[in-house]
Amino acid sequence: MSNKVLNIDGERISGQDVRNQNVTAVTAISNIVKTSFGPIGLDKMLVDNIGDVTITNDGATILKMLEVEHPAAKVLVQLADLQDQEVGDGTTSVVILAAELLKRANELVQRKIHPTVIISGYRIACTEAIKYINEFLAQSVDSLSKDFVINIAKTSMSSKIIGDDSDFFSKIVVEAMNRVKSIDYKGDVKYPVNAINILKAHGKSAKESTLVEGYALNCTVASEGMPKRVQGAKIAFLDFNLQKTKMKLGQKVVVTNVNDLEAIRDRENDIVKERIQLIIKSGANVVLTTKGIDDLCLKYFVEAGAMAVRRCKKEDLKRIAKACGGTVLITLNNLEGEESFDPSCLGQADEVVQERIADDELIVVKNSNKKSASIILRGANSLMLDEMERSLHDSLCIVKRTLESGTVVPGGGAVESALSIYLDNFAATMGSRKQLAISEFAESLLVIPKQLAVNAALDATDLVAKLRSYHHAAQTDASKKSFSYSGLDLNNGKVRNNIEAGVLEPAVAKVKCIKFATEAAITILRIDDMITLFPKEKGGEDDGHGH
Amino acid sequence: MATTAAAVPTKSRGDFEEKEKEKDVRTSNIVAARAVADAIRTSLGPKGMDKMIVSPNGEVLISNDGATILQSLELKHPAAKMLAELAKAQDIEAGDGTTSVCVIAGALLSAVAQLMAKGIHASIISESFNLALNKSLEVLTNMSIPVSLSDRASLIKSATTSLNSKVVSQYTNLASIAVDAVLSVINPATAVNVNLKDIKVIKKLGGTIDDTELVHGLVFDQNVSHTAGGPTRIQNAKIGLIQFCLSAPKTYMDNNIVVSDYTKMDKVIKEEPKLILEMCRKIQKSGCNVLLVQKSILRDAVNELSLHYLAKLKILVVKDIERDDIEFICNTIGCQPVANIDSFTADKLGKADLVEEVSTSDGKIVKITGIPNPGKTVTVLCRGSNKLVLDEAQRSLHDALCVIRSLVKKKFLIAGGGAPEIEVSQQVTNFSKSLAGVQSYCVRAFAEALEIIPYTLAENSGLSPINIVTELRNRHAQGETNAGINVRKGAITNILQENVVQPLLVSVSALTLATETVMTLLKIDDICTSR
Repeated sequence: MSNKVLNIDGERISGQDVRNQNVTAVTAISNIVKTSFGPIGLDKMLVDNIGDVTITNDGATILKMLEVEHPAAKVLVQLADLQDQEVGDGTTSVVILAAELLKRANELVQRKIHPTVIISGYRIACTEAIKYINEFLAQSVDSLSKDFVINIAKTSMSSKIIGDDSDFFSKIVVEAMNRVKSIDYKGDVKYPVNAINILKAHGKSAKESTLVEGYALNCTVASEGMPKRVQGAKIAFLDFNLQKTKMKLGQKVVVTNVNDLEAIRDRENDIVKERIQLIIKSGANVVLTTKGIDDLCLKYFVEAGAMAVRRCKKEDLKRIAKACGGTVLITLNNLEGEESFDPSCLGQADEVVQERIADDELIVVKNSNKKSASIILRGANSLMLDEMERSLHDSLCIVKRTLESGTVVPGGGAVESALSIYLDNFAATMGSRKQLAISEFAESLLVIPKQLAVNAALDATDLVAKLRSYHHAAQTDASKKSFSYSGLDLNNGKVRNNIEAGVLEPAVAKVKCIKFATEAAITILRIDDMITLFPKEKGGEDDGHGH
Repeated sequence: MATTAAAVPTKSRGDFEEKEKEKDVRTSNIVAARAVADAIRTSLGPKGMDKMIVSPNGEVLISNDGATILQSLELKHPAAKMLAELAKAQDIEAGDGTTSVCVIAGALLSAVAQLMAKGIHASIISESFNLALNKSLEVLTNMSIPVSLSDRASLIKSATTSLNSKVVSQYTNLASIAVDAVLSVINPATAVNVNLKDIKVIKKLGGTIDDTELVHGLVFDQNVSHTAGGPTRIQNAKIGLIQFCLSAPKTYMDNNIVVSDYTKMDKVIKEEPKLILEMCRKIQKSGCNVLLVQKSILRDAVNELSLHYLAKLKILVVKDIERDDIEFICNTIGCQPVANIDSFTADKLGKADLVEEVSTSDGKIVKITGIPNPGKTVTVLCRGSNKLVLDEAQRSLHDALCVIRSLVKKKFLIAGGGAPEIEVSQQVTNFSKSLAGVQSYCVRAFAEALEIIPYTLAENSGLSPINIVTELRNRHAQGETNAGINVRKGAITNILQENVVQPLLVSVSALTLATETVMTLLKIDDICTSR
């Protein structure tokens, strides 16, 4: 045993063994998420060690919950996570693709092809694939009909729980996205997904989810005596307490005379009263604060007929402030060292109203023309609501990427089949061992249409063969160029033009998916030695980790 | 203790057996050290593979860098540890060739084992190795080619050679980034060394390695302070760096302020804003519009109130600057750290065209670009699709930077691909013929041991090592000093034409360090455990 000679406190596996082990671990991971891939993929129910249940279809979420231990498998989990962050969708496909690439690479290695040759073959294939997508497959959105955005949203939703209502939800998503559209200083158009607030409320059916033109806050007014509806609102955003003034640590009030006691109490109240007067005088009729307001202070607001909401989330407050043109204040101090409230810090809104949805009451800041949107989701149970939120998030991300990048590709396995044909032909032009690696790469890409067909209980072999023949025709015969948009129609088990059918994905998502999958496969493929050091025995000398 | 494998006999023995024990210790040392060398042999060269190491606390490391691997292995045998130290020494001295140095040491140790089996005394072996080393260095120097630092293409070639063995080898941009980074922090005409601290490498997850970029300016890992909604983008920035705190002062001793009158309460409350406002005003007066605040552990470096004032005064604030970075920042933007508000004056500010916050998928970063007198420092922003790749990219970049540094230190290039080792091996063999007796025998063994490098290169590339090494010998015997293994074509070619070059310093230092380590190991004849 080499580790005996090496004298390390651990275990060492090298050569083919470690490669097999890595591939097994990675395949296991991909097998888990495989069945939830595509429009007819099913969901997973995950139960964690305290008994919390998650039901999801999203690859990244599943893998995150799994607490994978094998180091190579961890790479895949990170990969899904990265795809989630960079694109927001396609997390399952990236994992399946990476695992397939690795599996095929391992077979090549067993046929005595050096891993580095495979690696460079994969790299070439990856660059070629991306070039091909950008040159031939990507469609500029300008050439498409107006409702392409809706189609994009629909495609990404199709695999999720809200797939059946995709007509309904895609409209919500697109409208929400258009509301938050903003242009930054460089003139780039941005669609911040974060600016869309998603709230979940139990009850009613999913179809009764609504888009609110404005911002919904999961809070209520601080006192029953306050108005529940303020029109032409002027909103003050505060990030400090409105409470009786307390002296800071190290400052003491010593009372020597009984009469002083009352005076000091009064003064404590007066300091905050003065602050409130400042706010009210500036014209504010709605006050939102992230901190607390005590009952004494509420009285002043009630008297002034203003609405006050306490304990708002700071994130929410910042976004409302941005949308209404106000500023969040963390103190009232001005540059003269005095306290004042500048009316220019107030935000404007058409209406601020407290509404009842299900059992909860919400504060909605309505603003017909400004940049904010909230989606209130309704659903039968919290598991469903959570999954709906994740699905909507995916769709929002996809719509954002499409609108920002401006190119789309057909979905339904069209890109993968086209690339597979193209790379196969390209491999034939290579006169070295890399040829094998490139054609395996081409073969691996087919795992996507295959898995789509398998999940839809269709004959994968038959369909994929048909799909390939269409793409082959598209690439060899100039008159059949439109065939290059052929993808699977999983409901009818046919091949169709997916651009016309409106099954679309942003080109960026595909490019990133292929890039990331290749990079992850290469990382794992390069390993030919794995050394696992045993955990240090507890007790004895502490290594500073502090158990 | 870990010396179990050394199997040190504990029983007291007779004189004759003492001798036996010495031999045991040496053998055990050699076996342990060779095991280490064998373990990392597979990661040598452009077709070398990576190692995945899972540390005791479950963290995963994937690396191809000899020094990194050995360091994380937590070796226990003292002789094995020496090899890890050796790799580290090479890392410090040359920065690259950490795997080669261990492989050479391992081969030399095998040679030693054989020589000792023949009954040659350790001190004679040691002496002869020293002799052989001197001769080898001479050969290496003779076959080197001078290079000028203005020759950017050659520099890129040598950086590429170093990066070839890494996971990032396909990304051509790293080599030119490394070269540009080094060249921009030195004066190519006069420099004799490079301070690698002037090149800061910042890692940020997301994107791929293609997106790695060289920034002539500064990049901060943290974001702009948003607490009070200050600006996040400033053109024509004047940057101040402060080491004091913008918050209410604290005395060292426990203190109490006693208020006995309600009218005084206002005064107490208003004192803090006044004090902070005064400081902020002073900062603004100097013309500063970007403020970097050093991290403080004693009290808040900035509090909400001061952030509020600074935001109102349209000053961008980056807080939590590490103490270690202060010098780098000062060198880059030409500012001076200010330790007291009273000395905060306009002449201490640095200038830049643009300070802006940039979003990445892994959080936000602050970029300072357009510095008036660039050339003292640069920052490399490293990107990668997962943490493991990113870490390895950073290590590879470090190696490439070191290679360029080696060239600055010693402006000579040498062929790669096993060519120098074979050439040295042959010349030293010839040299051994001029010697007499045991020495000649030892020098020859030294020469043969060096063939391990081309042997391993060939083996790792899936070529037949014996065929390759013998053919190499043949070609070198015919005077083709630059014939080496062309791993890409799987044949022997003139390696200089293939642009596979490395700095002389890397080879020289590898050979010297390996030989010296072997000599040290040879001199050990006993291991005692002391408590």
